[in-house]
Amino acid sequence: MIRIAGLYKSYGSKEVLKNINIEFSSGKIYGIIGENGAGKTTLFRCIAGLENYRGEIYSDLKPLKDHLGLLFSDPFFFPKITGREYVRLLCNARGKEVPDIDASNIFDLPLNQYVSTYSTGMKKKLALMAILVQGNECFILDEPFNGIDINGSIMLTEILLRLKQSNKIVILSSHIFSTLSDTCDEIHILRNGDFTEVVEREYFDRLESQMRQAAVIERIGKLELK
Amino acid sequence: MTASTNGIKYYFSLLFKMTNRRIKDFGINPVVGYILLLAIFVLLSELLFYKSEFWAPYIIVFVCAIMQLELSRSDRLDFLHIVFNNKTKRKIRIVENLLVYIPFAIILAVKLQFVVLSALLAISIILAFVSLKSRMNFTIPTPFSKRPFEFAVGFRKTFWIFPLLYALVVIAICVSNLNLGLISMVLLFAFMSSYYIKPENEYYVWIFAETPKTFIRRKVFNAVKNATCMTLPVIILMLAFFYADFLLILLSFLVGITFLTTVILAKYSTYPDEIGIPEGIATVLVLLFPPIALGVVPFFYFRSIDSLKRFLND
Repeated sequence: MIRIAGLYKSYGSKEVLKNINIEFSSGKIYGIIGENGAGKTTLFRCIAGLENYRGEIYSDLKPLKDHLGLLFSDPFFFPKITGREYVRLLCNARGKEVPDIDASNIFDLPLNQYVSTYSTGMKKKLALMAILVQGNECFILDEPFNGIDINGSIMLTEILLRLKQSNKIVILSSHIFSTLSDTCDEIHILRNGDFTEVVEREYFDRLESQMRQAAVIERIGKLELK
Repeated sequence: MTASTNGIKYYFSLLFKMTNRRIKDFGINPVVGYILLLAIFVLLSELLFYKSEFWAPYIIVFVCAIMQLELSRSDRLDFLHIVFNNKTKRKIRIVENLLVYIPFAIILAVKLQFVVLSALLAISIILAFVSLKSRMNFTIPTPFSKRPFEFAVGFRKTFWIFPLLYALVVIAICVSNLNLGLISMVLLFAFMSSYYIKPENEYYVWIFAETPKTFIRRKVFNAVKNATCMTLPVIILMLAFFYADFLLILLSFLVGITFLTTVILAKYSTYPDEIGIPEGIATVLVLLFPPIALGVVPFFYFRSIDSLKRFLND
């Protein structure tokens, strides 16, 4: 379980997160949506302990960071590291025995090649595979579906559902609504640094219609495309 | 003035601005920064000529060429290729290499090494046409693959340095020049220390389930172990052929290890920011006057632990 109470985060005078209160339970998948710059990544970085903040983040996983699989939207890789070495590094870092990496290579990645030769989607698959191999209890996935091909997306959806079955906590953000509606138990809407709405699974269709109304009809209409 | 000349002028004014910003990021006035860099450059060059007058010009050529090759990285060249036409791109690369060449040329001119100076000019222009393709499919094998990442990544970037420096040691033995052998050892440590200069992305510190103390100790232990492995052939050869100077050889090795340790600690003492000018100067001073390591190393160690508390388990 992760409980966030009264979380504030500012960069200089700009307040990015304002009084965030939320609880994430085991065996559930949480979707976080919000426009670009709404504060999703900052929230994830605060949970991971990568940012200083005001407020409280409590977890029964102690220390939380050592049980957390964190996937950034644009993972960083060293220029001359191979896929195999990257997975090994992440296992070494947590003191985990390095498993049979080839057997874990569910995405058929060329693990002996430099990661710099990988496509965007392959890099994301590698980063995902590494945090799965780490055997974490909680996963924060920032736009995990971006850049991944159709087969990869189908596999990722299945992986998320299996993590839920294994009683893990999964928090993810995505700009593709279907990826959230296929996996999440709840969707939390972040606007201007604050959670303004929580939508349960049975109301996902209504949320999608509302978003379509706001995006397509109201905004694109202003363009007066001919 | 042609569009191409304007483009080149603007490109170099931007490079100058970006360099100034980097120096400012170190918390230092750019003018002071340039003066300090110049002072360190002159000091190290003088030291090199003092240690081995015969080989110093060649080592200067070697260092200058490496710096110029760094500018031939394919990602840089791809950028220049996209932005400029071929002719302008070539001009820019020649000017860049000449800018790197100038300080080395001045040192060589002062030391009356006009033949080497002319050869280096030719090398500088030739290297402006070289492209270092980094997107090759071939993966360079490394003995450090089991414990990534600094030595595994660094070794692949500079693997060609090792046979060159080992060859230099063999030359030192053939010409009975101990100083040349010691310079090779110093260069080996300088390259291996360069693997630790740039602060890594914070994710690569955050992932470790360790305290700052265990993290730092493990980093230093691995670095010392790997550096010792890479230096061992040099030490064995030198001890075998310059046995009378075994104390000096072992002391030089110890200084190299201390320098490497200082670089690692200097990096983490300012983490996640880059190593600042004061830390950089203190690190160079450790190489020039090793006893000050007794103060510098513990100081950096405790500051590193403080800096890493934000990312690791306290």
